[in-house]
Parts: sequence; structure tokens; C-alpha cells
Amino acid sequence: MLILQILLNAIVLGSLYACIAAGFSLVWGVLNVINLMHGSFIVLGSYLAWGAYKALGVAPWTSLLIAAPVFFILGYGIQRGVLNRVIAAPVLVTLTLTFGLDLILNNAMLVAFKADYRQLVLDPSLGSLSVGSLVVPVDRIVAMIFSLLLTLALFFVLRRSRVGRAIVAVRMDRDAARLMGVDVPSIYATAFGLGTAMAGCAGVLLAMIFPISPIASGSYLGKAFVVCVLGGLGSVPGAVVGGLFLAIVESFGSLVLGPENAVTLSFGLLIVFLIVRPQGLLGKRGFE
Amino acid sequence: MTIPSAPLLNLTGIQAGYGEINVLWGVDLTLARGEITALVGSNGAGKSTLMRTLSGLIVPTAGRIDWAGEDLCGQSPAQILARGIAHVPEGRRLFSSMNVEDNLLMGAYARKEPRAAIRRDLDRVYATFPKLHERLGQAAGTLSGGEQQMCAIGRGMMSAPRLLIIDELSLGLSPLLVEQLVEALRSLNREGLSILVVEQDVITALELSTSAFVMDMGRIVQSGRSAELMHDPAIRSAYLGALAA
Repeated sequence: MLILQILLNAIVLGSLYACIAAGFSLVWGVLNVINLMHGSFIVLGSYLAWGAYKALGVAPWTSLLIAAPVFFILGYGIQRGVLNRVIAAPVLVTLTLTFGLDLILNNAMLVAFKADYRQLVLDPSLGSLSVGSLVVPVDRIVAMIFSLLLTLALFFVLRRSRVGRAIVAVRMDRDAARLMGVDVPSIYATAFGLGTAMAGCAGVLLAMIFPISPIASGSYLGKAFVVCVLGGLGSVPGAVVGGLFLAIVESFGSLVLGPENAVTLSFGLLIVFLIVRPQGLLGKRGFE
Repeated sequence: MTIPSAPLLNLTGIQAGYGEINVLWGVDLTLARGEITALVGSNGAGKSTLMRTLSGLIVPTAGRIDWAGEDLCGQSPAQILARGIAHVPEGRRLFSSMNVEDNLLMGAYARKEPRAAIRRDLDRVYATFPKLHERLGQAAGTLSGGEQQMCAIGRGMMSAPRLLIIDELSLGLSPLLVEQLVEALRSLNREGLSILVVEQDVITALELSTSAFVMDMGRIVQSGRSAELMHDPAIRSAYLGALAA
């Protein structure tokens, strides 16, 4: 039963990891930008959920309706106004730029919210769901369902919509996409906006489970990075598979080696994959 | 050379290249409306660079691209496509993980017309290339070379162009497949589409086209009616090698 309980927890955690990584993978895959602000966007999403609940009593799942457009516009604006200016430069330039922007954003959050951990505690609590001896808090199930819905929504946007096809086309062959009449800078901004919206929404959902602090951004960024490498850069299914795989390894690894070694395990896994299977579990395919 | 029908496109003194390396040295070229025109020349002559310049991927450093009284120099590929010039690039450049139908729909990406009009053109592509209909759900990267070329041409057709530019129509394809493609292009031309075919295979190009231009070292070195060029001794010795002998 302990194994089943750990597996259940890992699936909940893995779906959140998928949501964290899908947007990061999209931006990396389409723009070839390693967005070091991703973790801070997640934390900002958590603060949005926390603030909306504390000040207005808005439930986190309702906050998603605010977070998605707000973070999309934020990401679109950053790409259009700043990153597009250096997008043709070597990846180190965009990496350094997002590092600098992340320092500004993260320190602004430290000034605004302090480094104290905040907690979004739903009142009344949603309680727990028990099946036999398996117990899962309902807020975690809600977070999992919304994570999977958001990830699925991103998948269908990329697969079925006109703008999604353009994003995939730009990722595969930028010049050929230009010949189809695609406005590449606008598609870059849209992809970055979608990635930022996914980060913000993931933050909203994570606020239901984890304490909120600007210093958590590094940890979220690390998870996104590891999941992308494990699942294979450039696909939503890759993010889901990578997220679940990481959560399962971390959960069972914690049982065997102790929870204090979970982070070491995940980064150890990253190194092993980079050496043995750098294309990830699903391989490097077009973003779809 | 005299062009009997009204010119569709007129290039004057086009110079272009990659960074500081100039490839085109003052290209002059006139395309007649409603005709199939061929641009032939050996590898490295500058044909593909000229096509990339025409479709806006490369901005010329000098010259004028006259299209219905408007200079296209400096316009983006999207603007040039909107004017009615579609470019099927060398190597097909399909979106390999996308299926055939999504590739074709990407061809209509910039069109603002109702879905019915786009669906009608999609059906037209399938009628021209029935093989594509059989493979509509298949990833484009898994198609055979001939099917990929059909898909690339179909994708070009989906923008509803007035001029279709095809770079290296026959590259890597069997003669039978090339014959099928040539037939399809003749049929499209009969429906009123102007076509510019860029080819290394001079026989195919001259047989398909009404008029032709010969390019060498970034310049147009000869032009005329294709039937006449086919019998030109200089062309025969330079490009038709064994046949001439």
C-alpha cells in the first residue's frame, strides 16, 4: 500500500511538473531561448493566486482565468519589446539577458513580498479523498486536474489552431514559415506569451500545495530544466512523460535514500540523461 | 528578346547576396503573364539566390523588382506572398513532423478568406495530386521524394498565387515522377497560373517552358523562346553535353 500511495503522490506531483515544464520547453524549442525567468514567473503566479484569495476571496482555480491572459500579455510584451531585439544573437546572449531580467523580477518580488514563506490556506479546507488506505488531499487532486487540463489545452492549441501550426512551423523551419507569410517575430512573442502563461498558471496551482517565496524560483526552474531533458525537448507529450518520470524517481528515491537527497537525485538523473540519452525519452521531434 | 504577352514581373539590375558576399550582379529578367518560364544554369550560378530575393528572403542591395507597377524590393516574404508570388523552395522545406494536410493548410496561412474557399483550394490540390489525398494524415517527412515535391507544390498553390516559383523541380526524382509533375504544372498553367521553374535539368526545363533564361556567375547570359534555345548550339554544347555530341 505504501508503494501505491507513493505512486499516487508521484502522479499528482508529475502532472504539476509537466505543467511547469511545458511552457519552458515551448520557449526553448521554438525560440532557442533558455528562459531563466521561468521560475520567477511561476512564483509570481503563486503570489497572484495568494493575493487574489487573501484580498478578494477568489479561489485559485478561478484565478487561472486572470493569470492566463495577464501572464500571456506580460510574456508577449517581454519578447516583443526586449528579447526579439537579440533573438538572432548566440544563445549565450539571450541566456544572459533572461538571467538579468530574472534578477530584476526576483528582487522586485523580494522587495514587494519579502523572503518570508506565504501559504495559501483554503478555508474551508477541501478535505481529503480516501480509497482504502490511500489518502489524497482534494486540493492536490484539483491542482493535478487543472495542470493536466492546461497541458492538454496547450497541446491542442499547438496541434489544432492556426497560430499553433505557425508556432510548430517556425520551430521546424523558420525560412519556410516566412515563405508561408508567417510573421516570425509575432509568433516568437506568441510562443513566449504562451510559455509565460503556462508558468503563471502553474504557479497559481502550486500555490495550493507549496509555500510561496521568491527563493523557490530556482527550484522550479531546475525542475523545468530536468523535465525537458528527461522527456525530450520540444514536445508537450515529452513534458508530461518527463514530469511523471521525474516525480516517480524523486518519490521512490526519497523513500530509499531519504527526502533530503531528492534534488541530488533529480540532477544526477539530468547528468545521466545528458550523457546517455540527450534526446530524452521521447526523442527530439517537432513541437506538437 | 521580345515577350509577346504583357509582362507579369520585371527585374532590373538586381544585385543581392549573403552579407558581404555578392552573388547576383545586375540581373535583368522579364516574366510574361500566363506563361511557364524556366530559369536554367549550372550549380552555383545564383538561381536559388535570385528566387530567395524574389520572395523576400534576401533583400537586394540594388535594382528593382517591378510587379504590377510596384517595387517589391525590401518587402517582407509575407507582403510578397500577399501580392501573389508563392515560392516552393529548393529541397521542398516541408514541415516534416506535420501531416500533409497541415502542411497544405500552412500554405493558406496568410489568407483571410472563409474556410469554404480554403477547403475548395485544398480539394483542388487533392484533385491535382491524388496521392496527397491518400496520404493526408501522414507526416510529411515520411513521404517519398516525389510525394514531398507534390506536397510542396500543393502548399504553394494553397496561397492562391498568381505566380508560382518552383526551385529545383526535378532534383532527386525519377523521370516518371518528373513527367507527372510536369503534367500537373501544365494543367495549372492552362488554368491561368504563371509559373517560374528553376532547373538544373535543362531538357526538362526547356520542354516544360515557353520561354527561358540562362544564368551563369550571377548574371543572365542568354534568354529566348525555349524551343529556340533547345536548338541553340551554345546551349547544347554547354548544358546538353552528350546530347549535343
